[in-house]
Amino acid sequence: MSKAAFVAALAVLVATAASAHVTLENKQSSVSSYYKAVFAVPHGCAGSATVKLRVQIPEGVIGVKPMPKPGWTVETVKGKYATEYQHHGSKVSEGVKEVVWSGGKLADDNYDEFIVATFLTGGLKPNTTLYFPVVQECEQGVSRWIDIPKEGQGAHGHDGTSPAPGVKLIPKP
Amino acid sequence: MARLLAGLAALLTALCFASDVWAHATLVSAEPADGSVLAQPPKMVQLHFNESVTPAVIGLIDASGKAREVATRAVGQSVLMVLPDDLPQGTQIVSYRVVSQDGHPVAGSLVFSIGAVTGAATPSRDGLVSSLIWLARIGVYLGLFVGVGGAFFAAWIEQGPSGGKAILGALYVGLISAIASLGLQGIDLLNLPVSNLLTIAPWKAALSTSLGPSVLIAIAAMVIARLGWQGPSIRSAWIRSAIAMVGVGLSLAASGHAATASPQWLTRPLLFLHGLSVTFWVGALAPLAAMALQRDSALLWALRTFSSLAVWVVGVVVLAGVVLAVIQLESFRALIETKYGIILSIKLVLVAGLLALAALNRYRLTPAVMRNYENTRPLLQSILAECVLVVAIFAVVAGWRFTPPPRALAAAAKAPLAVHIHTDTAMFQVLISPGRVGVDNFVLQLMNGDASPLNAKEATLTLSLPERGIEPIERNATLGPDGYWHVTNVPLPLRGRWHMRIEALVTDFRKVTLEDDFELR
Repeated sequence: MSKAAFVAALAVLVATAASAHVTLENKQSSVSSYYKAVFAVPHGCAGSATVKLRVQIPEGVIGVKPMPKPGWTVETVKGKYATEYQHHGSKVSEGVKEVVWSGGKLADDNYDEFIVATFLTGGLKPNTTLYFPVVQECEQGVSRWIDIPKEGQGAHGHDGTSPAPGVKLIPKP
Repeated sequence: MARLLAGLAALLTALCFASDVWAHATLVSAEPADGSVLAQPPKMVQLHFNESVTPAVIGLIDASGKAREVATRAVGQSVLMVLPDDLPQGTQIVSYRVVSQDGHPVAGSLVFSIGAVTGAATPSRDGLVSSLIWLARIGVYLGLFVGVGGAFFAAWIEQGPSGGKAILGALYVGLISAIASLGLQGIDLLNLPVSNLLTIAPWKAALSTSLGPSVLIAIAAMVIARLGWQGPSIRSAWIRSAIAMVGVGLSLAASGHAATASPQWLTRPLLFLHGLSVTFWVGALAPLAAMALQRDSALLWALRTFSSLAVWVVGVVVLAGVVLAVIQLESFRALIETKYGIILSIKLVLVAGLLALAALNRYRLTPAVMRNYENTRPLLQSILAECVLVVAIFAVVAGWRFTPPPRALAAAAKAPLAVHIHTDTAMFQVLISPGRVGVDNFVLQLMNGDASPLNAKEATLTLSLPERGIEPIERNATLGPDGYWHVTNVPLPLRGRWHMRIEALVTDFRKVTLEDDFELR
């Protein structure tokens, strides 16, 4: 590879890294409460239109209800939770583990939001960040917003260029 | 009988050449590095060799002097040892003994300290075992060259029993030494005390190395030579001694440093020819000396026949020897700079002396005996001097058993850069070849924290050189048929401390990311 091509390749990589991420609109929520998770998708995958969005529901998040979206088909993947949770006086041991929107098309130069209503159980640790890994599939390529900083590095740990959207948990008031 | 022996010879040939391409194993790097002081006790120790090896004995002596159990596993060219988690602070010693592909055990120790250096002696190789191995090797050479070679000379050239005592004695010494060398090899391999020769383990271990077939062929050759000595007819003596000679060549070509150097199609036949010619030459010495001493009437005829052949035989010995030495040494400087080269240098000096004596015999003393039949004394003295030199050469050559040739050492220097990254969740082994500025190839071996293979859906390699402002270069790895992830033709244009990040996608939503630095020169 020539030196010029090498530098050009670096420039492209730097440009990608600097662009915006898929994020959660509400950056903070208390535990033992409902949380409306709004996933903001600011662009496609390196210029290609988004055709599918998959959100993984972390452990400790129950009562998941995705908001239907015109032009998109919404599906959920259910499975067993790691432990049992108390919800409205009854025990819950399984539920939605993944939400998938597909069938739509979100152009790279458009913006859209994907919404899920959830309940954050009391067992979640306050003063930590809860991450919702997101896989964004496009007409061409995939962007995985799944990087979770190691403990102790904080939300802005510089490990990984594709951070998973997160919400800061605060103690129940 | 002849058919049986021919069948045996064919079997031995198959045994001998069935082996794969071999080379002498050398430790390339270790993790933690030898002599390092670590803040935290490491979870495991890794030894990286220049070829795949079989662990024989891996031991750990902790800082309190206690021998500890370690679980070991060979992964490709590496040996992984899981360490106990309650290692005391201080200096720990890992001693390893692995079998390299040429059948030689490679042993060494690695010292690392937790917290602080407390000082401890490195366990050394048992001197007694080494000397016994060396003596047994010399004994095998005596049996093969003096014994089998002498039997051949007696049957083909002299057609008489002169020097019979020396020849039979050499055969018996050779047989005992061959059996002993097998047991001692096992003892050395498993690092056991000599008393364990009476147990089965060392013998089994030795037979599984390339020395096994080599020694078995040598034993067969000596037994056949012994049978030929008592043969019912001159014809059967001819056949048996010839088969025994071929056995000597095969035995030498079956094991050892030179037999495993590449190109094998060249080194093994050369070694075979070298051994065959040496046997012919050395085998003649004892009978000739005996005849000269007794002023035997057959001496003249035997001398004439031997002398006319010896010129050609010596030519083969020297030519084959020189080519093998060039392959092993790779440079003239290695002759004085490496142990292997020093042994070769001594051998060459002794061989030069031997050649001078041989020339003296051929061109001065033999014609003198021809002229005056009674004057055998100078010839006898010269032959005895040759015998002394020959035994000295055996003693020197037997020392090669303990030194890797420069060829193997050079391979270690050329070995790829190995980087090992280890966290609780995962363990990545990265090989960068050639590991220098320019275009490099990466091989990623992905493992879980417990060294089991990590099945990734995708793997990405990202490289940067922060000190020179080189931002990340990202490449997708492809899974090769060997189960490792490969990234080829990565330009690394500058020397310095590069940063490497490897991301392995385990599920759609989870990836394992490990990072480390490596020094590029």
